[in-house]
Amino acid sequence: MVNDYQKEAPGLTLSTAMQEAARCLLCADAPCSKACPAGTDPARFIRSLRFQNVKGAAEVIRENNALGAVCARVCPTERYCESACPRGKIDRPIRIGDLQRYITDMEASLGMKILKPGKDTGKKVAIVGAGPAGLQAATTLRQRGVAVTIFEAKQKAGGYLTTGIPEYRLPQAIVDHEVARIVDLGVDLRCGVRVGKDVSLDQLKQDYDAVLVTVGCQAAKQLDQLANNVCTEAAISFLARVKAGQVTASDLPDHVLVIGGGDVAMDVATTLKRLGVPHVTDVAYEEFSEFRASKTELAGTRAAGVTLIDGYQPVSAHQNQVTFKHRKVAAELTIEADKIIYAVGQRADLTGLDLDLQHNERALGAAKYHTTDPQVFAAGDIVAGDQTVVFAVQKGKEAAGEICRTLLGGNDHD
Amino acid sequence: MIKKDLSVDFLGVHFENPFCLSSSPVGNCYEMCARAFDAGWGGVVFKTIGPADFKVDEVSPRFDELQKEGTPFVAFKNMEQIAEHPLAQNLADLRKLKQNYPDKVVIASIMGPTEDDWEELARLVEEAGADMIEMNLSCPQMTSHAMGADVGTNPDLCQRYCAAVKRGSKLPMMAKMTPNITTMIPVVKACLAGGADGIALINTVKSVANVDLEKKVGLPIVNGQSAVSGLSGKAVKPIALRFLQELRSAAGLEQLPVSGIGGIETWSDAAEFILLGATTLQVTTAVMQYGYRIVEDLKNGLMHYMEEQGVDHLSDLVGQATKQIVPAEQLDRNYKVYPKIDWDKCIGCGRCFISCQDGAHQALSWDDDQRRPVFDKSKCVGCQLCALVCPVHAITLGLVEMKPGREGDPATVDVASQRLPS
Repeated sequence: MVNDYQKEAPGLTLSTAMQEAARCLLCADAPCSKACPAGTDPARFIRSLRFQNVKGAAEVIRENNALGAVCARVCPTERYCESACPRGKIDRPIRIGDLQRYITDMEASLGMKILKPGKDTGKKVAIVGAGPAGLQAATTLRQRGVAVTIFEAKQKAGGYLTTGIPEYRLPQAIVDHEVARIVDLGVDLRCGVRVGKDVSLDQLKQDYDAVLVTVGCQAAKQLDQLANNVCTEAAISFLARVKAGQVTASDLPDHVLVIGGGDVAMDVATTLKRLGVPHVTDVAYEEFSEFRASKTELAGTRAAGVTLIDGYQPVSAHQNQVTFKHRKVAAELTIEADKIIYAVGQRADLTGLDLDLQHNERALGAAKYHTTDPQVFAAGDIVAGDQTVVFAVQKGKEAAGEICRTLLGGNDHD
Repeated sequence: MIKKDLSVDFLGVHFENPFCLSSSPVGNCYEMCARAFDAGWGGVVFKTIGPADFKVDEVSPRFDELQKEGTPFVAFKNMEQIAEHPLAQNLADLRKLKQNYPDKVVIASIMGPTEDDWEELARLVEEAGADMIEMNLSCPQMTSHAMGADVGTNPDLCQRYCAAVKRGSKLPMMAKMTPNITTMIPVVKACLAGGADGIALINTVKSVANVDLEKKVGLPIVNGQSAVSGLSGKAVKPIALRFLQELRSAAGLEQLPVSGIGGIETWSDAAEFILLGATTLQVTTAVMQYGYRIVEDLKNGLMHYMEEQGVDHLSDLVGQATKQIVPAEQLDRNYKVYPKIDWDKCIGCGRCFISCQDGAHQALSWDDDQRRPVFDKSKCVGCQLCALVCPVHAITLGLVEMKPGREGDPATVDVASQRLPS
């Protein structure tokens, strides 16, 4: 059943996409377009689709977002564009993410090449990490005629898109296609090269005009109660093994406990059910009223048959037993599971990079995306802001603009 | 964004793109036309200017729309007449438009009850700086029967008025036709004889769109009554294309310069008009529903179409479909093409079965157990109604067979449309 568990839900067809576009009210001041962190203009691309201009719609998406097909699938649109949609006041918001998926799928099937490299400026930039922020920054820099080399520690580009998000939510073929499109702009992508080990940051500073660090938050945060527990595994480690095809149902016990209430926890729990684990229990610190996971993810997890318990925090653990206490009411429960997966957040691991991030965590205004080293910039999840793909895209775009402003002078034309 | 040259030359005037506002409420004053130019329209046909002594007195409300299954504006009914501003104001607006937008095309639409009026208006709009004149011989809701659609069905009047305009002005001139006529050809020939350089078609179709069942009066209700007036929008596109086809395939009119009007909303609508012989295009109803912004997708979509077709000049596409529309008696009637059902796509709704039973030749029956249609080839006439009603496009054109005793090679029969369903 491996194929089934990986299968992406079918998307809209031409007919259903046109019907959905016809539901759009074509608002005068389009709240959806003001609600996108990455500056996507759904009102514009839905209007293009509505008026039978699929190619124009694809241009609107792609010229703003190098990962448009990825965002179409993984963006929590309910929090952004769709929450702002006035159609929701009539019945339900326009399915903006699904329309974006339809349009970017058409872009791919029509073989469109929308982005073009800019006129060569003679400047070159090294990007450390081929995750969403690095990929978008590489695209923006190439569009402005800056040469780009990306150094990626893993064997495959994509960052968390490749190692974390489950196949059924984001097929690897989609990520690969986006990466290929970016490489096609003339980006030199070097996988399997870890900066700080295989090549030093100082070397990059010598070889390039600027270095952009977009290494993301790849280290899992730990729960003190679970330290050194042999039954435990970090969520990102588990998801990476699943994506690499290293996990099958026979490797897993009949009951798995997941700890966490964010999208990553939901991905883990749903993946376990899809893999065929009969009993999956997820315990979340937050109550449902304050849940961090998107409604879509939560609904998917429920539909998959995961037992969800909200409002409890772990207080102690003994091997395969974890005891939780409710945060607000007097209640305690002990759950026994032969595998315990924790998804309680991630942090940056900057080993070997000698990078001062404190500056960025506080950075605002003019100092945005600069580090204390004038030649080194940072973007993506390691700088302040939401840790979603759509934010990473925006940060990558803005950081590239900041690099251009620094290297080439003049105004950022974004 | 794709960049292609959309410019066209029409009646000796250069348009940066073929998209114009048609003479209507959407081009009623300087400020509106200026915003349309800013939005990207190539030209504007300013709302029809009448003689100084013609007083426009409008009703309220004045519009209605036809719906089908929840889709609004399938057609639009409009009772507004010609420009209500004073003549001097209209002329001042034309002048200012041309001054501030020298690269855009400003077309003056005019209308008068006498030859002298036509001649004088033509003189005045040329003096005001218009690039071109459009004669409105076709408005179906005028309060004066000496003006409007009644005139447009009378070849003698049309010829005399065209000649009058030509006496008044040297500007290139197109005559705007009414569709409320059996054939346009005599009127068009009369206009050309009178000096018209080209034709604009179509104006609105006389209509009663809806009737209020309780009050027993047509819509819109004007203090308890209603009147016949012009229908426009998507529903009239097939009527406009038919007149366009009729003209451009008539002997001697093959090269007739035409500005196409009627239900244009999308670039593909525009491309259809172009392929049947229109050089410029005029739009009102879609603008009234959606605003000037629709020109963005009209232009961008048309550029992509040019790219797909491998043409660098829009003029290369003008009239490319004309020859493939022939009199019905010339069509190949030697074969039929059967439907092909894709069972993976079929969702078992039975709409094909219902339509075949009640609207065609009973070739599809219904398997109650399987919940799917059963095809009887011996009864099928190849009409393809089933394919048209299928909601999931599971039915396509299949086997082509020559009729008994007819000559021909089924393999060479060309029936497959590449038009995307929508």
